[in-house]
Amino acid sequence: MEKIRVVLADDHVLVRTGVRALLASHGIEVVSEAGDGRELLRDVRRHRPNIALVDISMPLLDGIEATRRIGNVSRDTRVVLLTMHKDPRFAARAIDAGAWGYVVKDEAIERLVDVVLSVASGKRCLPDGIEPSRDDLTTKEREVLQLIFEGNKNADIARIMSRSVNTVRAHRARLMRKLGVGSATELLDVAEQRGLIPWQAARKVDR
Amino acid sequence: MAIRLILVDDHALVRDALAQVLAAVPDLDVVGTAGDGAAGLKLAREVEPDVVLLDIALPDENGLLLIGKFRTVCPTANVLMLSMHSEPEYAAESVARGASGLVAKSEVPEAFIDAIRSVACGAQLEVQHPLSPRERDVLGGVARGCSNEEIADDLGLQPKTVEGYCQRLMDRLDLHTRVGLAGYARRLGL
Repeated sequence: MEKIRVVLADDHVLVRTGVRALLASHGIEVVSEAGDGRELLRDVRRHRPNIALVDISMPLLDGIEATRRIGNVSRDTRVVLLTMHKDPRFAARAIDAGAWGYVVKDEAIERLVDVVLSVASGKRCLPDGIEPSRDDLTTKEREVLQLIFEGNKNADIARIMSRSVNTVRAHRARLMRKLGVGSATELLDVAEQRGLIPWQAARKVDR
Repeated sequence: MAIRLILVDDHALVRDALAQVLAAVPDLDVVGTAGDGAAGLKLAREVEPDVVLLDIALPDENGLLLIGKFRTVCPTANVLMLSMHSEPEYAAESVARGASGLVAKSEVPEAFIDAIRSVACGAQLEVQHPLSPRERDVLGGVARGCSNEEIADDLGLQPKTVEGYCQRLMDRLDLHTRVGLAGYARRLGL
């Protein structure tokens, strides 16, 4: 089998560094690292790796959205998603987005290596019994949702997405209508309840 | 002599990755790892490490409350918290409860290694100005979606005062919108 080339995307630099070294010791080469979803897309476009190993929770564009787009950017790149969370809704979206593999971080490195090797050889490694599911938001609406949550004003969102402010406003309005909310903070509640914001799904620390 | 560390994090991949980063450093020695608070305390009692690397969000126990327990079980160990985000609020609270500091997993390895070496010598990591009780109250209101008027009413303040708090918080946390502030407050569990 030809050498496996991987692009690794995770905003936890410490974890990323360790995973890269561990993969190397198993003969799997990481050709590039990315810290957010947009950087990931640029890297995939440039390097055309066999596999993109992608954390779901990343700033700017989460891993599930990025998976959807990688299909358009580099047909032969297969995505293996990594997550801290066990919420089955994220798995359902991951499958819908076209992921080939899905690994929860509570499993050790050997599991990740197995999944990478299986996917590289053409086998999908997805959790059993989960149906693909998609919310009714468009790609652009989901992108705007994440950028709103990360505290960006419309002008910043427009710049990041390379669109006009009017376009951003239109996406925002449609988004709020679809979710049935009247304010940005209501948006937070509804989006959280519906599991729409994997990147925000931080585990709360009890006090 | 090498600095002896234990690593307590419930995600095996994270434990493996961090251990890998540390394996490359000659003066740091990972002498054990654990997947939850109880196992971590038992390990600390057995091996008496110099440094405990402790994930702030463990499944079985309040990460912040564990600090005190580690200090009791192994008084010579210095505790360094690990967090998914670099929230200054958690850093300050960790230190208040006896940890030597907090490092985010988004940090570069060099900074992480420096932090370990510093705390091993008994140093406390610099902590950003923590939230005052009043700031926490205001943030709590923002998290719940209250308006400045509603928050002012709840706290017995003038709306303009609440507005001032929100603006200063947004500046300090580098957030530009109220929903960004609300998101931050919710992540902190406020």
